[in-house]
Amino acid sequence: MGTTAAEQLLALTPERRPEIPETLNGTLRLDAYEDGWTQHWYLTVTDQHVEFSRSADEADLVLRAHRTVFDRMAAGQLRASAAMLRNDLTVAGDMRLFVVFRRIFPGPAGARHPREAARQLAADPSTGRDGRR
Amino acid sequence: MRPERVYVMSGNAFAISDGQGDILVDPHDPIGYFAFDTRFLSHWVLKVDGERLNALSRDDMTYFETRFFLVPGAASHYVDTDVSLIRHRSLDEAFHERIVVLNHSAEPAEFTVRLDIGSDFADTSEIQQPRTRDVSVVADSERRQLRFRYARDRFVRQTVVTSTAPVDVDEGGLTYRIRIEPEGEWITDLHVATHIEGAAGRDLRASLEEHRQHVRHTMREDLQEWLDRAPLLISERPELTAVYRQCLVDLAALRYLPLSKTGFVPVGGLPWGMALYGRDAIITCLQTLAFLPELARATLDTLATLQGDRLDDEHDEEPGKILAELRYGEAAAFGEEPTALYYGAADTTPLFVVLLDEYERWSGDADLVRELRHPARMALDWIDEYGDLTGDGYLRYLTRNDRKGWVNQGWQNSPDAITYADGRIPGLPRATCELQGYAYDAKRRGARLAREFWGEPEYADRLEREAAELKRRFNNDFWLPQAEYYALALEPDGTPVDALSSNMGHLLWSGIVEEERARALAAHLVGPDLFSGWGVRTFAAGQHRYNPVGSHLGAVWPSDNALIVAGLRNYRRDAEAARIASGIFDMACTLGGSVPELIAGYEREVTKYPIQLPAAGRPQAWSSGGLLMLLATLLGLRPSGENLLVSPVLPAGFGRIELLDIPGRWGHSDAYGRDRGNLRARRPRMR
Repeated sequence: MGTTAAEQLLALTPERRPEIPETLNGTLRLDAYEDGWTQHWYLTVTDQHVEFSRSADEADLVLRAHRTVFDRMAAGQLRASAAMLRNDLTVAGDMRLFVVFRRIFPGPAGARHPREAARQLAADPSTGRDGRR
Repeated sequence: MRPERVYVMSGNAFAISDGQGDILVDPHDPIGYFAFDTRFLSHWVLKVDGERLNALSRDDMTYFETRFFLVPGAASHYVDTDVSLIRHRSLDEAFHERIVVLNHSAEPAEFTVRLDIGSDFADTSEIQQPRTRDVSVVADSERRQLRFRYARDRFVRQTVVTSTAPVDVDEGGLTYRIRIEPEGEWITDLHVATHIEGAAGRDLRASLEEHRQHVRHTMREDLQEWLDRAPLLISERPELTAVYRQCLVDLAALRYLPLSKTGFVPVGGLPWGMALYGRDAIITCLQTLAFLPELARATLDTLATLQGDRLDDEHDEEPGKILAELRYGEAAAFGEEPTALYYGAADTTPLFVVLLDEYERWSGDADLVRELRHPARMALDWIDEYGDLTGDGYLRYLTRNDRKGWVNQGWQNSPDAITYADGRIPGLPRATCELQGYAYDAKRRGARLAREFWGEPEYADRLEREAAELKRRFNNDFWLPQAEYYALALEPDGTPVDALSSNMGHLLWSGIVEEERARALAAHLVGPDLFSGWGVRTFAAGQHRYNPVGSHLGAVWPSDNALIVAGLRNYRRDAEAARIASGIFDMACTLGGSVPELIAGYEREVTKYPIQLPAAGRPQAWSSGGLLMLLATLLGLRPSGENLLVSPVLPAGFGRIELLDIPGRWGHSDAYGRDRGNLRARRPRMR
């Protein structure tokens, strides 16, 4: 997988994506701007398949952000919801398709499976006990 | 005594002031005008000729409208005053206040009316110690406007105060120098718009007239329509119909439209929980299916859209997990709190499946069940793949966010809520008992959905086998044979945590309890250690950490009690069910107004009056919903195929009640019930 959003989108393969609900079909456009120009990435979602193209056509959901913001999301460093709240990402259209956008990019590197966290705690009980609330 | 608080609310926006309508920051309470987890007004104080005002009376017209009737000066000398004021406040997507000054004298009068205004843009998570923000202020007398703006990178919040009457604007507020003719009046309207950049481009600077139209027509009509859609309760006890109506109004007040626009969903409640909480929302929907099923549809849709899809330690997120908390403020946006989608709850995910099934049973909305097959499957998969943390087949929790995560991720989520009877704190990950009940119920209901709607009979068989196995093992591993109740939790190594808690009732509600054990559980639930007389305590008296004012260590929660009573009726423990329900209704009728989230666990015989706790907010969605659920449970409302079954067991003193036009797959249906006291009085005994 590439490190930038563009590389990751280009590398999207045609296989079925079981993480996308089968009832969710539609189109998304990602507008990545930088230095006065904008790249348009277009995603067509049909039956758990996502097809990528470059197009500025109308889409059901349009997401707009600086190119580096998309890159950070593609690298798992920034959550889409936080980017939206910070106004680094603006979203217009059918919000149900936001799920697709979230699910084509990976989560943060180094995140643990809950069982792994439980094993680590069992091995070293001094960690992880002192949550705030 | 705590100072009086007056609120108006609308969706996730609310304004809390003192009894005069003034807003002055208080570190112990979220005082001010808030929307989307940001305080847009932190100071709003009215003076006439330099004097603060005193309230003669107040008219709380609806949850979004209040009128204050005021006079200048201290209480001792206002009797002869020649001037009085009316402050009419309303809230929709903006805050609005009409100020009317009345001259009661036979002479013209001149006054200086001053409104001190400030905005600190505090986040709801930092009310106790708001940090100082660099707020820019623009005083614009020409446009009769005072503007506050706070920006952090591209995150921008603005408060724009506009006056209709001519005004001198300075950075600290508005000054009117007015002259009023004899028996005359002077009026200004103040419109406070909140501007959020960064939440899907919301721009809320609606025009003033639009706002007034909206409050006067749309919101009042909307409230009336909401009340009209709910069933009609007819009772011989006026206080019962008053409680019922108040619950419906509270639930109307606590709806908001999330940015995903998936319909109106319940927020937790005032003042601290004005946000979407997965648990509160799901429980509220389960409680209100017989009354206002539209809440459930929107909540299921919304939670499906926000379902977890990745591993993320900071947010305790895993694929398939259902949301715990959603906030929109600065702390969430910049990761100071993990609440821009926080998933630290182990019960929301199975309860999501429970709600989907229960919603279909009432509504017959098979389309939604098919539409939500994918998220429901992900939720069911989550239980075994991510919820079973030690591989022993039990649903457990352990936060992966050591800094800000919730230690306890069941409904009893205060840090010391899960404890042994002797006060020892068990290790993590913990498997609390009610989670196993929810998982069992989710699997059984998931099986029904898979078989009847998804065309997946083999998957349904598998879920049923797993549910049966879970029930068998649970009844071995959690049961304490000497004490005759289920352990509150299991340690990581399977050792039972022996505390006696109200969660027994949740187990009855979920159906995981062996039939022959229901009698013993019911006896505990109405026994002196758990039952206070008003309701079942979260944690039984006599145990080391028992504390009648501890939220989860002895207090009484109406929402908890609603599930308990439903559980008792599931196992035909009708007498115990009626006794507990009667206590909660007595509590609600005695207190009047909105039902609080919890009351102290003191013995009813000792206090005679329900003791409210400062930590307990009201209105609260799942408390208001809880009273509705108690009513439905006492009437024994239950969908069966295309029909509504009714099987009333009303406590003595309820008299006759009718619940008319109960919505559901049957169209509309009516239910009638009469308490046994009356029956006995009317029907002479044989022999």
